[in-house]
Amino acid sequence: MIQVRGLTKQYAAVCAVDDLTFDVLPGKVTGFLGPNGAGKSTTMRMILGLDKPTAGSALVGGRPFARLGEPLRAAGALLDAQAVHPGRSGRDHLRVAARTHGIPVRRVDEVIDQVGLGPAARRRVRGYSLGMRQRLGIATALLGDPAALLFDEPMNGLDLDGVRWIRRLVRELADDGRTVLLSSHLMSEMEQTADHLVIIGRGRLIADASIQEVMRGEGAARKVRVRTPSTDQLAGALLRMRLRVHPTDDGELLVEGASAETVGDVALEAGVAVHRLAEEHTSLEQVYLDLTGDSVQYKVSGTPELVRR
Amino acid sequence: MTAVAVQEPGTLAVFTRAAAAEWLRLRTVRTTWWCLLAAAVTIVGLGVIAAADDAQGPVGPGNPLPSTFAGEYGVMLGQFALLVLALLAVTQEYATGAIGPTLQWTPRRGVLLAARVAVPAVVATVVGVSLALIADVLALLVDPDLTLSLADAADSLARIAAVLVAGSVLAVGLGFFLRSTAGALATVFLLQLVLPFLLPAFGVQWMADLGELLPGSGAIWTLLREPEMTATQATALLVGWSGVALAAGGWSLLRRDAG
Ligand SMILES: Nc1ncnc2c1ncn2[C@@H]1O[C@H](COP(=O)(O)OP(=O)(O)O)[C@@H](O)[C@H]1O
Ligand SMILES: [Mg+2]
Repeated sequence: MIQVRGLTKQYAAVCAVDDLTFDVLPGKVTGFLGPNGAGKSTTMRMILGLDKPTAGSALVGGRPFARLGEPLRAAGALLDAQAVHPGRSGRDHLRVAARTHGIPVRRVDEVIDQVGLGPAARRRVRGYSLGMRQRLGIATALLGDPAALLFDEPMNGLDLDGVRWIRRLVRELADDGRTVLLSSHLMSEMEQTADHLVIIGRGRLIADASIQEVMRGEGAARKVRVRTPSTDQLAGALLRMRLRVHPTDDGELLVEGASAETVGDVALEAGVAVHRLAEEHTSLEQVYLDLTGDSVQYKVSGTPELVRR
Repeated sequence: MTAVAVQEPGTLAVFTRAAAAEWLRLRTVRTTWWCLLAAAVTIVGLGVIAAADDAQGPVGPGNPLPSTFAGEYGVMLGQFALLVLALLAVTQEYATGAIGPTLQWTPRRGVLLAARVAVPAVVATVVGVSLALIADVLALLVDPDLTLSLADAADSLARIAAVLVAGSVLAVGLGFFLRSTAGALATVFLLQLVLPFLLPAFGVQWMADLGELLPGSGAIWTLLREPEMTATQATALLVGWSGVALAAGGWSLLRRDAG
């Protein structure tokens, strides 16, 4: 189980991760979906204690990863397959990892077999193809027989066989009762692999729903369309509730992430007449595609704002 | 998979494993062996050349000269091969990104720092002292007028050990602080070798004074008894500089993102 609470990472120019909260549950493959630059890698690095959050926290198996004495038993990760000393053999790389945990060399040869690295394990990593490096990274992640696994875009650059192999592997790991977090920027990749989706864009949570809900368009980001004679007054009241409001071309307001009940209540409280109130559902896939297609439109900022379009 | 309540190992156990992993890391890259070869050639080679050189000069029979100067001359230059070994143990991981996996296996950064300082420092010191001893013994063979008493050998090797411990801690600290091989290497060479020799060469007093404040001057004095300074000053230079470098490197490892 991985728990992410209010996780935030502010770099000088960008807020890479913005107040993310979600859980990754055991026994499932959780897809971590977002366009390039959404903050997936940064989130994973913070979960693993590599980068320090500006705010918030992450727990792996109930504890901060950076304090663990035997971290490879709590979580194994493949973040960047290239991040290996090229002069060392794959097997030596694994032996070093094993030694940090007192894991016997027998286990090293076991994971080498499991990922199908075979005799290449004794060659220096310098000569490995990307696919072989991915396999080495996955072997390292599996070494400590961990309760949780984090894979950052593991299918990137793999051929079809490699992709199938990863799908089967993460399925087996989840069926074993492990927690599996798998990132990708492709919705299509996730459809066939994940049970649950955590979708982010520009560092913010867009959705946290099962794959069925996503495919049915449920749990989708809701929008409410409201017509009122007192547009400015209602917009002001909604903004004070930290809701995002867009004026539409036909003089209505589009409120994001709220239900009709909420908008109706806000209108009542503000003493504003409502002439029309309608919920609009957008499928997550559509939201996701919109987000990848046009990054300006879904400008996310920390403060509520009125976006004119 | 079965959930087993895992007993958290104590800090000492985590350190011992991290140190064992560091030792294996050093052994499994070729650069280490190239550095050791370079150290062996330089320390033993220069030591023997210095002895041969001395054999031609007049050595007063009433004033026997200990052969330990051979190892000391050898280490004066040969130490750099060992400092490079210690430095690369740190900076190569930043260059290749391998620091990421390393910190996933040993996320307790204080423990990693301790292991990554201790193992290269011990390796550099043990190797350097052994090679110096070999140079001393070979010097005896080259120039039979030289002597090598146990007391002289112990004194000389202890001074060499102090220089190598201080030097490798300086190198590792700078490696963690600067994270770049080129930057850290240049800084170590400047502080330890180039500036201490170069600055006095200008014949300007304040430059010479400045040179005497560098860690290299402390190392040169400890090995060769020059330039003019007291043992306290030399010790302060060795301990002070390596302490500052270690603090800066420790700050960088413990407080900054992995890199
Ligand atoms: N070390 C860094 N310094 C500054 N900006 C960074 C750094 N790492 C990532 N970013 C920025 O943070 C955002 C999120 O990046 P990342 O987590 O790599 O996204 P993803 O993995 O979803 O593609 C991007 O805008 C990226 O440019
Ligand atoms: Mg990424």
